[in-house]
Amino acid sequence: MSSLVKRLIYPSLGNDSRLAFLLLFPAVAYLVLVMVLPLSWAVSISFTNKYVGRPAQFNGLENYIKLMRDPIFFRAIWNTLVFTFFAVGFKVIFGVCVALILNEPIKARNVYRSLLLLPWTLPAVVVIYTWQWMYSDVGGVINDMLKRVGIIEGAIGWLSQSGPLAMFSVIVVNVWRGTPFICISALAGLQTIPGELYESATIDGANSFQKFFKITLPYIKTVLMLAALVTTIWTLNNFVMIWLLTAGGPGNATHIIATYSYLVGFTNRLLGQAIAVTVFTMPFIILLVNFITRLALQED
Amino acid sequence: MVGKRMFFTYVALFVCLLMAMFPIYWMLNTSLKAAREINQRFPTYWPEKVTTESYVELVDMGFMNNVKNSLIVSLLVSIGSILASMFAAYAIARLNFKRKKLISRFIFYAYLMPRTVMYIPLYIVTTNVGLRDSLWGLILVYPTFTLPYATWMLISYFKKIPKELEEAAIVDGETKFGSMVKIVFPLAAPGIVATMIFAFTLCWSEYLYALVIITSTPQKTISLGLYDLIVDDLYAWGPLMGGSIIAAVPVIFLYFFASNYLVKGLAEGGVKG
Repeated sequence: MSSLVKRLIYPSLGNDSRLAFLLLFPAVAYLVLVMVLPLSWAVSISFTNKYVGRPAQFNGLENYIKLMRDPIFFRAIWNTLVFTFFAVGFKVIFGVCVALILNEPIKARNVYRSLLLLPWTLPAVVVIYTWQWMYSDVGGVINDMLKRVGIIEGAIGWLSQSGPLAMFSVIVVNVWRGTPFICISALAGLQTIPGELYESATIDGANSFQKFFKITLPYIKTVLMLAALVTTIWTLNNFVMIWLLTAGGPGNATHIIATYSYLVGFTNRLLGQAIAVTVFTMPFIILLVNFITRLALQED
Repeated sequence: MVGKRMFFTYVALFVCLLMAMFPIYWMLNTSLKAAREINQRFPTYWPEKVTTESYVELVDMGFMNNVKNSLIVSLLVSIGSILASMFAAYAIARLNFKRKKLISRFIFYAYLMPRTVMYIPLYIVTTNVGLRDSLWGLILVYPTFTLPYATWMLISYFKKIPKELEEAAIVDGETKFGSMVKIVFPLAAPGIVATMIFAFTLCWSEYLYALVIITSTPQKTISLGLYDLIVDDLYAWGPLMGGSIIAAVPVIFLYFFASNYLVKGLAEGGVKG
């Protein structure tokens, strides 16, 4: 006991290993015990017929075969790609635009920056219910506004009408909440650009577009890329937004992989198969995470 | 020319502010209306009569218990994980040891691991250790996202503190551990507090883990409690928006308090979930 405490408090100079081990132990041990082991264990459960509240029995690849035969699964994969592509795309475009505005010499910039950050700070559930209420076809403010200006005549079921409308509506909510994150990252990148670059470009007769594509974009490329990729991971896995806004409906039009896995695992209680869904998507997630890690550590 | 450019900048800024703020205004506006006013055919853009009816109803329905649960879980988890993170982050930022790269990579991986991948494994774990439907179950699993997040943020804060300060202290006979506690931690205190605040808000806003782990009403956190206000597909918009305001206000307040650090942290490659 005393030697351990001594080593902790008086580690010899230059020999960091022991201190590093002690300092890292709680965090790493926790992450191994509560993340790595359960995840590996879960992977093994995907080869069983585990049902909520019942012991699991090995059933080989049956879960995966069933998955391959479920058209809703493929619908969910497609929806995930559509949702992520458009949501991330618009978040990046709007985020950069707002950052460019905030980068102008405006007064009280910090106040505006904080206010524009608000949508991102709100708990997701709060954002979701607020938009659900605004979308409502009974007393919803969006329908009311559009009716007042004469764009529509009757109320629209933004989240319930069949067709691509529901997907559009959930993307709007996701973009509203996620844009500030891209914006703040892009703004941080913008503020590192030396002003002289623009001055000399102006002297050389470059117009605004040329300046944007030749100076601004190359300068913020890495930070923007990192923010966009991290956002992609969050968007791919945005269970709560879809689940509470549409629960995957109408007619599976907005089911993404995350909501599909919840449906299988907790509504239908087929845990083994739900984990198979996750396992199936894991290679893609790992690839993405790997890529981000390399980019982020290289930035460092 | 310059004047014109600034004019359009302010117009664009105004449009952005309107888009960002309107839903928040609408939430507040609805929460202050009487049920009768909310349920009429045309929404009123300003409450005809401001009333706290919705908030009273919320309290009657026991929403404060949800607030209390969220508060307990968020406080315990953010304090606990910041402590473990401080040590881990110091080791990665300042010490030389074998496999340092591997461990920092592992923590970054853990940080990016989506909750939709982890929720079933964590559901199984909490069930097996008998912590299902208990706040302790949440307290057990929430550090899976706060711990990697906080560690990652703190590494960048610690790296900014000049090494010379520590070296000087060590020359004066201080140990590494001592210089960490007496020099690095106090100098990084603003960053540590900010990180803790964000860890708190992450827990405060969490939904998916709570959804699968908690089932009974007395154990529910805010995110789940709001859902309970919807009875048989009937949305009680007044209380729902009131509850949303209650859920949002602490987070907004904390963000404003710590937003300068947040922006700096983001700028330095830290990212938040």
